Amino acid sequence: MTARTVLRNEWRLLMADRPLRIALGLFALLLVYALVNGVVWTRFQERTVEAAQAGNVERAQALAQELADIEAGAEPASRFSDPRLPNVLGGARGRHTAVLTPGPLTALTVGQSDLLPYYYDVNIYTNESSFQQNGEVESPLNLMVGRFDLAFVVIYLLPLLVLALSFNVLSEEREQGTLALTLSQPVSARGVVAAKLAFRALLAVGMVLAVSLVGLLVTGGFGAPGRILLWCAAVVAYALFWFVLAAWVNSLRRSSAWNATVLVGAWLVLVVVLPASINIAAGLLHPLPSRVQMITAQREASNEAVNRRSELLARYLEDHPEMAEGVVAEEPGLGALAWAATDAVNRRLEEVTAEHDARRAEQIALVRRYRFLSPALLAQEVLLDAAGTGDARFAGFQSQVRAFAERWRDFFVPAIVAGEQMDASALSRVPQFRLADEASGEVARRAAVPLAVLGALLGLVAAGAGVRLGRVRGAT
Amino acid sequence: MIRHSIRHIIRKEFTDVLRDGRFRWCAILVGALLLVSLGHGWVQAREAQREHAAAQATARDHWESQGEKNPHSAAHYGIYAFKPRLALSFVDEGVDPYTGTSVWLEAHRQNDFLLRPAQDATAAQRIGALTAAQVLQHLVPLLIILLTFGALAGERERGTLRQLLATGVGRRDLALGKTLGIAGALALLLVPAAAVGAAALVVGSPGPAASPVARAAVLAVVYLIYFAAFVALSLAVSAWARSTRTALVILLGVWVVNGLVAPRVAVDLSKWMHPTPSALEFARTVEREMASGTEDIARPDNEALTEGLLTEYGVERVEDLPINQSGVLLQASEEFGNRIFDRNYGALWDTFERQGAVHEMMAVAAPLLAVRALSMGLAGTDVEQHRHFAGAAETYRRDLMRRMNGDLTENSVSGDFSYQAGAELWESTPPLRYDAPTLAWVLGNRILSLVVLGGWLAGTILMAAARVRRAEVT
Repeated sequence: MTARTVLRNEWRLLMADRPLRIALGLFALLLVYALVNGVVWTRFQERTVEAAQAGNVERAQALAQELADIEAGAEPASRFSDPRLPNVLGGARGRHTAVLTPGPLTALTVGQSDLLPYYYDVNIYTNESSFQQNGEVESPLNLMVGRFDLAFVVIYLLPLLVLALSFNVLSEEREQGTLALTLSQPVSARGVVAAKLAFRALLAVGMVLAVSLVGLLVTGGFGAPGRILLWCAAVVAYALFWFVLAAWVNSLRRSSAWNATVLVGAWLVLVVVLPASINIAAGLLHPLPSRVQMITAQREASNEAVNRRSELLARYLEDHPEMAEGVVAEEPGLGALAWAATDAVNRRLEEVTAEHDARRAEQIALVRRYRFLSPALLAQEVLLDAAGTGDARFAGFQSQVRAFAERWRDFFVPAIVAGEQMDASALSRVPQFRLADEASGEVARRAAVPLAVLGALLGLVAAGAGVRLGRVRGAT
Repeated sequence: MIRHSIRHIIRKEFTDVLRDGRFRWCAILVGALLLVSLGHGWVQAREAQREHAAAQATARDHWESQGEKNPHSAAHYGIYAFKPRLALSFVDEGVDPYTGTSVWLEAHRQNDFLLRPAQDATAAQRIGALTAAQVLQHLVPLLIILLTFGALAGERERGTLRQLLATGVGRRDLALGKTLGIAGALALLLVPAAAVGAAALVVGSPGPAASPVARAAVLAVVYLIYFAAFVALSLAVSAWARSTRTALVILLGVWVVNGLVAPRVAVDLSKWMHPTPSALEFARTVEREMASGTEDIARPDNEALTEGLLTEYGVERVEDLPINQSGVLLQASEEFGNRIFDRNYGALWDTFERQGAVHEMMAVAAPLLAVRALSMGLAGTDVEQHRHFAGAAETYRRDLMRRMNGDLTENSVSGDFSYQAGAELWESTPPLRYDAPTLAWVLGNRILSLVVLGGWLAGTILMAAARVRRAEVT
């Protein structure tokens, strides 16, 4: 009896088992549903990104037109929104929206992309508090529950399908009395279980990967082969972990009912209870620093900076140019004074944020150690990271925007401080945000550790199952 | 005689359950998680509440000690409002991690609530947040299933059902006895947890709330109804299924749909039925309407307003007005802005609430959704109560702006930019006081969930009764 025979027989048996057929059909349906959801979300984000980029072009064109008109002798609409002023050209009117394009595999994993901001408006007033903003408009209830995407199906439901397919691979043979017959052939119990599980793994994993690839075809093609490979690797490793766990439980030679109970228990503990307990432990042992205190610090910083009269007046005029019509605004150095205050606040904010971020990074590093306890958390990390919807890509984007804001300020502030005007030629030199997306290698380096641990867990359980199955004889 | 046999069945079932190692372990696990999550929630809620109260006091301090300045500068300086954590939020943190914790109340703008705790956490924390409410909503039903799936199917498989019925025990009494035995075992777990929760509430309530004890009592009843429905459902399936295996598979299927699949499907369904604009679109709409008004809401006509003032005071020139014209214009612009904000934010919140209603309607397929809505409502952590606080903060902002503009109007003259108010004005504005909504208000929002949950209880009990009556002996 060869592995081919086992596979062929398994296929016939599976097709004859109505509940399993239904379960497989249902799973396929859920996969497609999850994919459709992901694709809809990706399209929504793409439309928003396009609109944001179109906004950049429109604003630049309007300013160029106005500058050209002024050059031709027209009066600016208001002298305080005069585009020749560097604090107008580089301020809210001339702002540049820096955009993070959706992760290449967003259709497969919504991840954090519904929660974290994926674009920021940058102007000369962008500072640390500008990064404290909400992401996409979304009901907090929907954010709390999360999306029905492929990653959800893989992390929560795929293990259940795997267990339903394989909880009785060996025990059933024994219960039906066919084990002795099977093992009288020139095959080992190990070989039979391996062949049966390989067949089931092909089926289950094949379905997930096929739907994933369709999703990629629909949304962005295969432009990020490295990420796709990582995604597939995580799906395969995670699914195989559950298959070998089922094999190991089967190797204990208990009844099918016992196997089912233990495996469902294992699912519950590894997927639901452990991640939750880890988070509770993390919250108790390493609480995240609160942002609330940051607001207080920010406030005190700005109080300090604006507590001088000249600056107060300057700020007032900035807030209310229309109110100041007729008030002398051409005192030399007014812009410089105002900028000095702004800059002082920015510096203080940076200090406060740096302190907070350092504490947060420390806590997160501590918390992340615990994820090695749960294959579900490991798989989730790789699935999100591969898709480009994990925390790391968003953090990278934010730091690029930070650097961009610095370039933006460097471009406009000298003119503000010198009290100079700008012209249309400046528009063509204004900094543009170019996203330097993380390289596949970088993602792979990050994913290497969780994938390796997942692989090690998988290998460990597989070895245990292999050893025990090697001892199974037909006569027992 | 019959009562007597019920007592026997109850005692037998109860002892069986307690002797079952699997139950013992599961119960210990669930019980421990329940207690830990209660404790953790309590510590966290108290900490957050203390911090928010302190921050609120500091914010007030900043406001009062901002020094001499023009009232409109003070309006721009504004004040921060911090959302209080309500008394029962330690049981169910609800949507709180996904709503901002503070809002800047300043001139001209209604700002968003910022600083969502979930944004600071990691993706891993998002899939595995565990609160007492989640233990009650997800894990206790699982425990119930494990306790009940074999209640009748098991007796039948072992052939003891025929024996039992032969002794003259009625099927109904048998089922009732089993139910009460299981309920007794569950009570061993739930009563201490409830006691701990109640003690935590009494000893050190984490934050303010209207009638926290009444809210807690209703919360307990809601969860009891949910558990009762699960027991009845499990019993019905156990009576109907041909084998314990079938019963377990069906009930686990129900559990997965109830706890995992349905809630997420509700998200997509609600978004599809009631789409929200993108944040970009929303911001642009507000920006556009603020700049040029809408069909119904015109921008204030400053010239007409000035004309009106001149006529009212019988003077020719703005400089001769006894009041500051700027204050009047600013207030008019403020009121115009308020109408634009009400229109846009109101529509957005309405959409969120309609989306929430879709979740509640889905409870017809998954009772968890009804219980979750009620639980968050009673804990004061649902979308509606966030909106309630956001509304209170916005009302406060508008009052503050009115006061600042009023002072500017009354105490200075047009064109005078040197006028400065002082601590007297800042101190005369009342601090932000927030009254959490009443129990009746909360339940009024959740009528749909109450009805659906009641329907589940009645339906499952009827189903159990019918299935038990017709239960096959072999």
